Parts: sequence; C-alpha cells; structure tokens
Amino acid sequence: MSFRKLAGVAASIAGAAMIATSASAGPDDDSLVIAWGSTGPIENVDNYFNTNRTGIWFSRMVWDQLIYREPKTFEYKPLLATSWELLNDTTWQFKLRQGVKFHNGEPFDADDVVFTMNWISNPDNGVKVQRNVNWIDRAEKVDRYTVNLHMKKPFPQAFEFLSGPLTIYPNEYYAEVGPEGMGRKPVGTGPMKVVSIKTAEEYVFEKNEGYTWGSPKGEAQVSSMVVREIADVQTQIAELLAGGIDVTADISADHVDQIGQVPGYEALQAGTMRTGYIGFDAAGRGNFEPTTKLKVRQAMAHAIDRAALVKNLIRGDAGVIHTPCFPTQFGCDAEAAVRYEFDPEKARALLAEAGYPDGFEIGFYTFRPADWAEAIMGDLAKVGIRATLTKMPYFALRDKQRSEGTTPMFLMDWGSYSMNDMSAITSHFFKKGPDDFALDDEVAAWLEEGDTSSDPEVRKAAYRKAVEKITREVYWLPMFNHVRNYAYREELNFIPYQDEIPRFWQYGWASS
Amino acid sequence: MPAYTLKRTFVAFLILIVVSGLTFSLSHLSADPALTIGGEQASEEDIQAIRKLYGFDRPIYIQYFDWLGRALAGDFGESYHYKQRVFDMVSERIGRTMLLGTLAILFALVVSIPLGTLAAMRPNSIIDRIALFIAVLGQALPTFWFALMMIIVFGVWWRWLPISGHTQWANYVMPTIALGYYATPALMRLTRAGMIEVLASDYIRTARAKGLSPASVLFKHALRNAIIPVVALAAVWFGFMLGGSIVIETIFNLKGIGWLSYDALLRSDLPVVQAIVLVFASFYVVLTLLADLLNAYLDPRISVR
Amino acid sequence: MTDTGAARPLAFRQRQTTEEILEPSPWSKLRRRILGNHSFLIGAVILAAVFAVAILAPLLAPHDPYDQDLAKRLTNPFWHEKKVDPEHILGTDKVGRDYLSRLIYGSQISLLIGFSTMLISGVIGTVLGVTAGYFGGRVDMVVNFIINTRLAMPVFLVAMAAVVAFGASLTVVILVLGLFLWDRFAVVMRSITMQARDLDYVKAARAIGCSTPYIIVREIFPNVLSSLTVVATVEMANAILLEAALSFLGFGVQAPTPSWGLMLNEGREYMFFSPWLLALPGVCLFMLVLAINLFGDGLRDVTLERER
Repeated sequence: MSFRKLAGVAASIAGAAMIATSASAGPDDDSLVIAWGSTGPIENVDNYFNTNRTGIWFSRMVWDQLIYREPKTFEYKPLLATSWELLNDTTWQFKLRQGVKFHNGEPFDADDVVFTMNWISNPDNGVKVQRNVNWIDRAEKVDRYTVNLHMKKPFPQAFEFLSGPLTIYPNEYYAEVGPEGMGRKPVGTGPMKVVSIKTAEEYVFEKNEGYTWGSPKGEAQVSSMVVREIADVQTQIAELLAGGIDVTADISADHVDQIGQVPGYEALQAGTMRTGYIGFDAAGRGNFEPTTKLKVRQAMAHAIDRAALVKNLIRGDAGVIHTPCFPTQFGCDAEAAVRYEFDPEKARALLAEAGYPDGFEIGFYTFRPADWAEAIMGDLAKVGIRATLTKMPYFALRDKQRSEGTTPMFLMDWGSYSMNDMSAITSHFFKKGPDDFALDDEVAAWLEEGDTSSDPEVRKAAYRKAVEKITREVYWLPMFNHVRNYAYREELNFIPYQDEIPRFWQYGWASS
Repeated sequence: MPAYTLKRTFVAFLILIVVSGLTFSLSHLSADPALTIGGEQASEEDIQAIRKLYGFDRPIYIQYFDWLGRALAGDFGESYHYKQRVFDMVSERIGRTMLLGTLAILFALVVSIPLGTLAAMRPNSIIDRIALFIAVLGQALPTFWFALMMIIVFGVWWRWLPISGHTQWANYVMPTIALGYYATPALMRLTRAGMIEVLASDYIRTARAKGLSPASVLFKHALRNAIIPVVALAAVWFGFMLGGSIVIETIFNLKGIGWLSYDALLRSDLPVVQAIVLVFASFYVVLTLLADLLNAYLDPRISVR
Repeated sequence: MTDTGAARPLAFRQRQTTEEILEPSPWSKLRRRILGNHSFLIGAVILAAVFAVAILAPLLAPHDPYDQDLAKRLTNPFWHEKKVDPEHILGTDKVGRDYLSRLIYGSQISLLIGFSTMLISGVIGTVLGVTAGYFGGRVDMVVNFIINTRLAMPVFLVAMAAVVAFGASLTVVILVLGLFLWDRFAVVMRSITMQARDLDYVKAARAIGCSTPYIIVREIFPNVLSSLTVVATVEMANAILLEAALSFLGFGVQAPTPSWGLMLNEGREYMFFSPWLLALPGVCLFMLVLAINLFGDGLRDVTLERER
C-alpha cells in the first residue's frame, strides 16, 4: 500500500462520522469490556500491595469496607459494619453485618475484620502504603459480630481510611495464600467475583450473585466483565471506535468533544479532587537559587494564567484552586489561602526586585501531558523566565526528587486516595518527608497538630495556619483540580462520580 | 573445527558479559533501586535498610558479578514493581515476541525474495524500478507511523483486524506487517544483487547452454545459491527485529517482552530491563554464532584461516 | 591476513553493503550519469529544499514556532470549512502554535540531529574501522570485538535506558545516537581500508618511510571518502528515524522543541479526528528520509565506482 493512498485514507477519516458501529458484543451477551492503564498496569491486584489509581477501582469491585462513604455528600453509611460507637479517645466499636459471604463461601464475621486489621497494621507484612494502616494499634473480637478497633492515638481521619483503602479480607483464605495468592485469585465480599487474573494484561470478572444483602454499592448490572490493561490511550480509543471495548476512563478533554460527536458514542467529563500544583524548590534542596527567593515564587504565581489554562485545556467542571489541598477536604480553608491573580506586569516588577530583571533559566519537570506544562512555560516566557521541560515517567520523577532533589520547579498532582481530609495531601507533602521541598518547621508542626487532635476545631485552626503560610510563601502554586474524562458506548448506563472512582459494576446496558 | 567452535563460543560469551555489564552500569546510573523498592512511604531509615538488604551499598562491579552469577543459574531476581520472578515474567511473554519476530521475518522473506529475483532477472526494467521504489519507500517510512495508519484503516475504519492483544492469530497480522516491512528493503536488495551476480556466473551460463529450462535454471541453480546469504542476513535481522518490537508491541498492546521492557523502563524496574537486554543480546549472539558455524562447516577454509 | 572468529557476523553486513555499492560505471560517463540518475537528482533537489527551508526558517515561517495562544488552539488547516483561522494556513496545535511554522522549524531539528549524530558516529566508526583495517592483527581483533559487542546491544532499548539515565534532551539524544550508530561506518571503513592498504601506491608510501598518520590521512583517506559519504547518508537517515521513534515514545526530544518526531507524538493524540496533525510531520519526515536515501543511492551509483 502506497504512502499516498494511506495518507488519503487518513485524511478522509477526518469526518469520524463514517465510522460505523458494528453489531455490539456488549449488550448481546450482557458483558462489559473496559480498558484502563494509561498510568501503567496494576502491579498486584491485592489492594494492600499496589499504589495505582486503577488498583482502587479494582478493589471497589471485589472487596467491601466496614463503612461506605456516600460519593456525593461524603456521609458515612453502613457497609460491612452496621453501626459504630466511640468507646474512648482511641477505640471504635463496630457491629458487623450478618449473613454476608465471601466469594469462596467463607462467611464474613469478626474474625475476618480482626485478622485483616491486625495483619495489615503489622509493619512486618509490608503493606505498601504504610500511612493507610500505621495509625491502627490492634483489633479485637468482642463476639462473633462485634469488633473493637484500637488506634495508637486519637485519629480523627480514621473513617476516611475505613471507608476507603481498608478493605476486609477473608481470614482463612488470606492466611493460607498471602498477598501472592490474593494477587493471583482475589477473594472478597464485593459485587464482582474474580474469574481470572493475568497480571498486567487482563482481569475477568463475573457477577457476585450473592450480593443481595442490600449493600449501598448496589448489585452488578452485567453478568460478566473484562478489564484490559492498555497503556496507550490512542489504542484504547481505536478499540472503542472499533467496538473492541465499551468504556474508557483515560482520555483527554479534546477526546471528549471528538468522541462525543461520533454516532453511537457518548463522552463526558467529571471533576475530581485530584489537585494539580506547581511545586518550587523553596528549601534549596537542589541548590538552585532563584526558587529559594520568595519574590521569584510570587512573580511566577502572578505570571501564570491559570484561568486560561483551565478554560482551554482542562475544561469540564475543573476550576482554579488556591489552596494546597482540595477545598471540600476537611480543614482545607479556601478563605485562608493567599490568592495570586494573573498579572504579568507585577510578575516582571517582582522579578526585578528579586534581582532578575532579565529573568533566568529554570528546569521544569512533569509527568503529565506536555501541553499543560507548555502552556505554563509560554506564560513564564512572557515575563522572561525561560523554562526547559523534562517530561519523565511518574516513578522516575518521584525517585529523582527523592534521591537528588534537583527539580527546581515541577508540575505534579495528588489524588489524596480520594480521601476527603486535608491530611491526605498537605500532610504528605509538608511534614518534612522525602517529598517536602519547603522544609518549613512551623508548617510541619501545625500539620502534625491537625493530624493528631481529636477536636475538629483545633484541627481546623491548625490546618488554617498551614494553608495560610504555604500559600503566602508560595511553596506550591496550586493550579486546578483534574477532570476524569470518560467515553463509552451510548447504550451503556454510565454514571459519573466526582471522586475519581468509576463504579463499573453499576453500569448496565440500556436495551438488554 | 572443534577449536574454532570453542573459540567462537568463547568470544560470543565474552560479548554477552560486556553487553550486560554495560547495561548494568547504565541502568544503575539511572535510578536508585532502593527508592524504587521502598515505594511511596519509605523513610530514610527504610531506604538505608533496603540498601543493606539488597546489597546496593557495595561497589557496582561486585553487584554486577553477583547478578551475573545468579543470572547464569537462571535466577534474574525479582521485579521491583511486580514482585514476581523476572524469569517467570520474561518466559511467560517471550513466546509472543518470538512468534511476532518469526512471522515478521517470514513476511519480509516472502516479499523480498520473489521481488528481488524478478528485479534481478530484468535489471532496469519496470519491475526492477518498482522493486527499488518499494525498497526506498520502505526505508523512509517510520515503522510506528505505518503501524498507526494501519490501525486507522484496517482496525477502525474497515474493522477487518483486531487492534490490540495477542489472544488470536488475527492479532498478529498488523504487527507482523509493520515490523516485517522494515527488513524487506535490505533483504530485497541483497537478493537482487546476489541473483545478478549468480545469473552472470559461468555455471549458470553453462546450465543455460546445456538447454535446461529457464525455470529449472532459476530455481534449481541460481536461487539456491543466491538465497544462502539472504537467509543468513535474515537470521541477523531476526535479532535486530526482536529489539525493534518495542515500539510495535507498545502500539498494538501485544504484551511480549518488547512491551515488558518499555513498561519496566517507565518504572525503573531494573532487573527486568537487564534480563531483557541480555535476552535480546543472546539472541543476536547465538544467531550469528550459528550462522558462522554453519558457514565454517560449509566452507572449511574459514576455520583454518 | 588473519581473520578473528568474531569478525564473521560482519560478513553478512559487509556483503550487503559492498554489494549494494558495486555497480560499475565508467568515469567518463559521470556527467551524463548525474543528469541521467533520477534518484540522485530527486534526492538532491528535495534535500536542497529542506536545507533552504531550515536556513531561511526565520524568513519563511509566518509565526514564532513557540508563540502560543490558548484561545486559538486546534484551529483547522485551510481546506476545512469550519474553525479556520486565515492567519494559520495549516492550523494550530494543541496550545495554539502555528503548525506551519513548527513544521518549518522542525527541519532544523531533524537536520541538526541527523548531521550531529552522523558526525559523532562517523568519527568513532571511521577511527575504529580505519585503525582495524590498516593495522590488522590484534588491533583488528579488538576492534572486531567492540563492533560485535555494539551489534549485540539492542540499540533502541539501550538508547531508551540511556535517555532515562541522563534525562531527555536534544543533546542527550544526539550523543546517545552518535555513540550507538557507528557500527556501519566501522564495518565498511575496515574492509575498504584493508583493500586500500594493499594498493601499490600505499605500499610505495610505506616503503619510502612515510609516517603512519601521514599515510592514513593522505593516502588511505581519500580512497574511503566516497564510501564514507554513502554510509553517512544511510546513518543520517537512520538517526532521524530513530530520534522520531524515541520522541514518539516520549524518550526523545522534549517539548516545546519543534521536532517532527515530537510533533508526531503530540499529533497522535488527535489521529482519529484531526489526522493532519499526525500526517503532516509524518510526510515531512518521510520526505526528508526518502531524499537522503535517494541521494545516498544516487551518490553510490555516480561516484563510488569511479575509483574501481
């Protein structure tokens, strides 16, 4: 086939309307095929041994937590626990639901909860995200359906964890097979049952027919489901348009417009609490002088037109964020944040005052699409700051930051594990850990106070001070909240959620 | 001959050691494996402990020989990211890459030998020009670009072929063509040059003079001689092609070891990268070694020289 | 002549290269051949055009290739009916930069990469090849070993690893490719030097006691120059394609540099809906590589046999 012919064909495809929808595999056999994986495959589908966003999606299908957090109002509701009570500052008592069974037939009771909590909180077992579990002291069985959970110290965010990452495992099965066996053949109580796992390639599920005990998560709407790990977003779109998959959650805002216009498909955007920010090496970890100067950081904050960026590149219900956390998160007081309006004149003046009337050169790092970074660099160039972009894979960039610290300026983001508490983001980055480029003692102390007090007012006051100082010092320039973009076959009853967790089992076929 | 075989095998082995040594140092420059293993929440003490545990605090050459010793015994360590044995991860996927490579080289041979032969029979004819045109065109077309165009046309537009995966034979059609056409120009030129030379040789003239049918002259005598270097070159290309499968496997989501190496590079999963470099290099070295030994067997003067 | 075992694999590549090279043509017909050699002419004309565009880029480009305008992003090229901005004939990219200007400046990057890589790899390969060919013996054995080690390395994978190790940038890509793509130079230079070494006048120079560097530079080098040029064109095309592939996977030149490879990577996001964003840089890349190949092929036909 000659090049010219191919090019001609390519050009003629411009009107994507000619892409015909073939007989659909999905509704016919009541199955759903999903593609995900643009940030890489799940390393181990065992919920405690992966850090991927898609790992969270997977875990919600297969397992349940003690508590359910209503995705719209963030209210806590019963799930595997039916009620709870605070016995003292550091002890919660949970009454458990009766009549729930794991996929392998093992009945769910206090032994499972006690085992799970004690196993994950034991550092020797090496749960990957220790912050999720290191607040747990131990759990003890009171009777077959009552459990006491002891915390090391008062831990106000406990329910965010108990309704999020802390899924309940079957004690007998897990004791027998361990993380490796769980990774190969996961067993939980959730709405989908695992049929087979091919690591980094494909997961096959079927409906958990026993999920009839009135879970707020709802029963599965399809009888079988296949998830394919496809790293390449363009391949995902090609598969979607060719009828190979039914839904994708990895596309860009532009794709939403374009796929949305193709007959037979719908696409939409749903805002998330994933918070994008530009971090500056204010502490001078990489010995780069300009970013250690407050006036320079202020100048950059004024130079970047965040509103234009959001309007043109992110779209959806994304908005400019002024706080180093997502405003719905507990403690994230938007009023306390110092705001920086887009004002290139002021930026130039500040640069001159800081001793850089002609600007300077700076290395800029990101793992996100280059167009966001390029838009930022374009704005900076207009006030004389010449940035050179290095786009690296997430893991490589994180390692570079931790080992060398030679990243004077970086565009990154944090999804807070979908936890609606400021400690899930700000405390991760500003308590002098390996990802802290401010190294501010005061901020760290306030955050520690907020993280460990059980009095909500005390917490709020402490977090408020942290928000104020972080923004006043421009340790971060908060950018915008990210938007998840979905595209799917129009017959699919797709329900968007704002917490970046699509509940795939809830999607069924309209015409079947 | 035995001495020659021994010497060649030794050199091949030495090459593998140097290649893997270079890769080892290069990849240890790129990332601090302790950080990768430690993950999201590791503290400074954890990192130190991991360094001790895995022996990353030792000089690099000691680490290398340690790795090499275990690799020779088939133990390539554990993936930092997936916590699986690298040996299992690679052996699970190597078959797909081998299949793709084999199909691609067969495709290249099936296209290039007839075309090269036809071109050689009538130099400067229309067929020769067309063959040359295809060769020149093929060399200039970026593989990945060609692959994307095929996806648009055959996958999305006409829906003839599946776009991604590796579960059915149809999954291999587009990747095979995309990877195979890249080797076609070189093989075709060599066929053409070889055929021109053979056809002009004395014994073909003699065969013709004897009144053998043109077909018999062409297939029984000329092609058989001209094809040997082509097949030898194809063997070498096969080695290159396995390396070239990285882009193709990534585009078509065909999860062989090319894709695995790309994925491993993205997350600094050094044991996987090292193992795959060694696998690719071994293929090349073994194939050339075999080709050499075959050559030496056919032409004993080589081993004496 | 001693031949080390390690040299054997070279035979195939050598054969390929030399046989491609050998097609006799008398010196007296050179002039006519230049005019009669279509591929050389076509290649030379396109190449000259690309050079002209690269040099005159500041005059030809209607806009600054880095000048972005988010309000005017992704406008369509002139042949479309909707969303066309007359200021941008070929439309704009995803941050609103003029696509035509970026394509024009992209020629500079591709040529820069092609030439720099070719120079680096050419120097390495020629030094190794000429040394091995001239001195033979143990030197040849060592060089052969180095060549074979290089050939055994999966270039693309190791290049990606190197880019991860040293950070992606134009300089790193050029250096990495330059340090990898010298094998063909070395192989061809080695075999041609071996032949040249035994030529009568070279022997004569040695006999009258000329120094080794003098012989290599004055007597051997002019002999290998035209083969060198041919290999150089092949490697230049190779380097440009490899850079495009690296950039395409995100392991190459970094944004916002207007590299055609990077533009392919960016345009790919729109391949189903705005295919020209993928097609245009693809065509540019294809034309340039095609021109270099045609030029190289033609050069081989026109000049090489002159020495035989």
